[in-house]
Parts: sequence; C-alpha cells; structure tokens
Amino acid sequence: MRRAARSRLSTALLLAPPLAFLIVLFALPLGRVLQGSVFAPAFTLDHYARMWTVPVYGRVFWITLKISLLTTLCCVLLGYLAAYFLASVRPRTRQVLLLCVIVPFFLSVLVRNYIWMILLQKTGLLNQALGRLGLIHTPLDLMYNETGVLIAMVNMLLPYMIFPVLSSLLAIPPELRQASASLGGGSLRTFWRVTLPLSLPGLAAGGLLVFIVALGFFITPALLGGPKQMMISNLIEFSVRQVLNWPFAFALANTLLMGTLLLYFGYIRLLGGRMPRTGFP
Amino acid sequence: MTRLPRKLRRVVATAALGTLGGAVLLFLAVPVLSVIPMSFSSSMVFELIPRDPGLNQYRRFFSSPEWMAVLGRSFQVALGTTVVATTMGTLAALGLRRLRGPRRAVLEALLIAPRIVPSIVLAVALYFVFSQAGLVGTISGLVLAHSVLAFPFVVVLVGSALQSLDPSLEEASRSLGGNPPRTFLRVTLPQIRLAVLGSALFAFNVSFDEVVVTLFISGVRTKTLPVKVWDAILYEITPILPAISTVIIVASVLLLTPLLLARRSP
Repeated sequence: MRRAARSRLSTALLLAPPLAFLIVLFALPLGRVLQGSVFAPAFTLDHYARMWTVPVYGRVFWITLKISLLTTLCCVLLGYLAAYFLASVRPRTRQVLLLCVIVPFFLSVLVRNYIWMILLQKTGLLNQALGRLGLIHTPLDLMYNETGVLIAMVNMLLPYMIFPVLSSLLAIPPELRQASASLGGGSLRTFWRVTLPLSLPGLAAGGLLVFIVALGFFITPALLGGPKQMMISNLIEFSVRQVLNWPFAFALANTLLMGTLLLYFGYIRLLGGRMPRTGFP
Repeated sequence: MTRLPRKLRRVVATAALGTLGGAVLLFLAVPVLSVIPMSFSSSMVFELIPRDPGLNQYRRFFSSPEWMAVLGRSFQVALGTTVVATTMGTLAALGLRRLRGPRRAVLEALLIAPRIVPSIVLAVALYFVFSQAGLVGTISGLVLAHSVLAFPFVVVLVGSALQSLDPSLEEASRSLGGNPPRTFLRVTLPQIRLAVLGSALFAFNVSFDEVVVTLFISGVRTKTLPVKVWDAILYEITPILPAISTVIIVASVLLLTPLLLARRSP
C-alpha cells in the first residue's frame, strides 16, 4: 500500500515539470488564440464570418487546399515510385540510397527553399542549363508562381511519403509475390493484385501526412510564390505583422489548427490507433 | 502485337524502374549537391561550377561582425534549448513509462502535440503571450519557444529507448536497496545515455534552424542566424548566402552524423 502511494508520488513528481512547462508555453497560448478569436472583447463570430464573406480571403483558403492537394498527388506518384525502387534493391544498396532521403530531411528548411530560389529564378541554374542545351530561347517562369511552390513543396514533403510506403512494401512477405508468379500472374498483374493493395495503408498514411503538413506551409509560398500563391499561414503572418488585425489572425490560426487536428486524428486511426513512435513522423 | 520474351520484359521493367526511381532520389538530393560548389564562387552571378573558385564568400561571412553576432546568438539559443528541452523531455518520457491505459494515451498525445500544430499557429500564440510578458526580443523567450518545438522529439527518442529497456534490472537494483534516484543514475541512465545524447543533438538542430516562430518573437535586437538569412533572402540577394547555407548544412550534417550512425548499428 505504502509502496504504491510512493510510486504514484514519484510519477507525479516526474511529470509535473514538463506538464507545467507545456501548459504555460503551449496549451495556454493556444487557449488565448481560441479566446481572442471569439471575444473581441464581447462574444462575436464576425472574424470567422469574414473568412468566408470577403472573397479575397475565401480565395486564400481555396489556394491553400489546391496547392496542398496537388502537392499530395505529386508526392503519392513520385514517392511510390521511389519507395518501390528502394524496396526492390539489395538491403546494402538501399541503406546507401536512403541517405538521399534522410539527409535532406534533416537539413534546414530555409536553406533548401533558398537553394530552390537560386535554381529556379529567371537567370537561375535550371534556365541557364536549358538555354545552353538549346531547349529554350526565352527563360521559363519557374518562380513566383504555382510551379515554383509545387516543385519546392514536393521536394520537401517527399520523405514523409517515402518512409511509410517503403516500410509497408518491405513488410510484404516475398512468398506472396512468388506465389502469385507461380500461379501464372505476370509481374504487372502481381503488382496490381498483390503489391499495391498490401501497400495501400502506407500510401494512405503518407498521403494524409503530406496533406496535413502542406496545409501549414509558410516559408515556401512566401519565398517561391507570388501574391496569388498566398496560403493561410502567409495570410496569418500578414494580418499580424502588417495590418495588426489580431482577432482576425486568431480566427484564421484557430481554423488552421482545428483542421490540422481533425485530419491528424484521422491519421492516427489510419495507423490503427498507435501514435507514431519512430523519430520520423 | 508480338510479345517480348519474358526475360527481356523483366530487364526493361527493371531498367525503367531504376531510372525513374533514381530520378526521384536525385531530385531529393539536388539542393544539397548544388549549394556546396556554388559557395566557392567569387563572382556576383550564380554559377554551379565556379569559373574562379575561391573562399571569398566564406572569408566575407566569417569576418563580418554582424553575421558573427547572429551566429553567436544562434549558438547561445540552441545550447539553452538543448538543456531545457532535453531535461523536460527526458522527465516526461520517464513519467510516461510508469503510466498505463487510456491515461497514458491522452498524456502521450498532449506531449507530442507541439509537433503537430502548424508552426505559424504557435508563432502567433507565443508572440501574443510573450509581448504581454515582455519576452519578445529576449534570449530567454527564444529558448523557451524553441524548447516547446524540440520537446516532442526528445519524448519520442528517449521514450522508445526506455521501451526497449529490461525492467528486471531496475527491479534488481531496488530489491538490493537502491533508492529511486540511485537506481536511475546507476541503472537506467547508463542504458538510455545514447538516446538522451541523440535527442540533445536533435534539439540543438531544431533550434538552430527555426525560422517561423523566431521571425515573430525575435524582435530587431535578437535576430538569429536563420532570421538574418531570411531577411537577406528577401531584401538583399547576395552571393554570400550560398557560403552561409553551406555552413548551416555542414553544421547540421556534423550534428546528425552520430545519430545516423547510431541508427544503423542497432
């Protein structure tokens, strides 16, 4: 009896500092965002209504969804291709090739965005190369538009797609494919009937994760997009730092937060109720 | 249509898969591969292969008092973050391990939450609260904010190390009369040492790279390296930036190599 009480006390002592830390610096500030979005100072939903009634803001939501969906689509296609390739090579080769995925994943997001600016600008390296090869005569507009934002976002979000797909592909017992082949299934048929269905959970989890992270992107649309590629995050920054409209920024931030959390619960369910435990999301 | 022999079709399919898959991997590696040669350029025009390679940009960076000041500040903030986030995260992981059932699931979700919340939302929230508390533009404000962001990584990394621990060793220590702090220091900590160290490196890296939250709460006087780079990208594209980018990349690689090595040898 005394031992159980002492054990409970030490658990509480261990958890008290981090919980206090998170409550003060995380939960309460987010609570203030929620509060500030509906009390300004009396209760009102006007700031939420403005998001839908003012056409400019409605457009920002539409652009955010469109860019995030297109990014997810590209990541699904390219990510599956890369993961399938990685799953098909020998384990040692895979370890080396995986560095292409892991190393950029850990590098500064800002630096990677900046590099894409250098590569994609009018006098940038890609245009220089295409011009020298005689493929184009006038430089292509690859930046300050949707193309630039998509290229950089897909580049940054592909690892989120490759890791879950690769692990679901590697989890498929090779005997299944051999069985399909020995029963006369061609390699394409084996892919459609065996490999693809079994890797679908990884594909769905990766796709949803890419979409969730894409919704909150800030740096890429700010640096590689034009005024027409303003996403929700950029509108929030604009409202706070340029026009100082706090209640509206709070309403936007809260909408983004709620959307993200809702989708994240879907993601957890997709993983079968487990929280992702690895170093990767 | 004649069907190709089975073996030839397989070769073609493998070659196609290798080319396409390899192209995607190359696309991922492009940013890292291109910045390093660019940083050795000495001209004002960007060149992938510098015509007149040299260390001019590096010299300019390391001799600029302005850039050195932000670099020093970034180190200071990242070190503070490492201490706060690693301590808090390790405590949380140790406490979490003692819980079971739904209580544990709820708490775990809360502890990992700062990683799920979009950084812009946290930036606005902390900016608002910090400006009331007088923490905007202070080193301690930056350390606290970065620690919130780095915290979940520590919980996850140390938590998974604790999960693979054999509880009978700790029980043995207790039954031999070791009190809880002694058991922790002599039995538990040595076994999770690597994970704690790894998560400390991770926390340092999170802080050293943080842009969005820092942009809001750093003010004019306490800019960090990424915020100064952000300003330079937006307002004064200079050829010094590839050199700085290379320095940041090399620093991250140096920090994370031990982590990658540890990952490979279980």
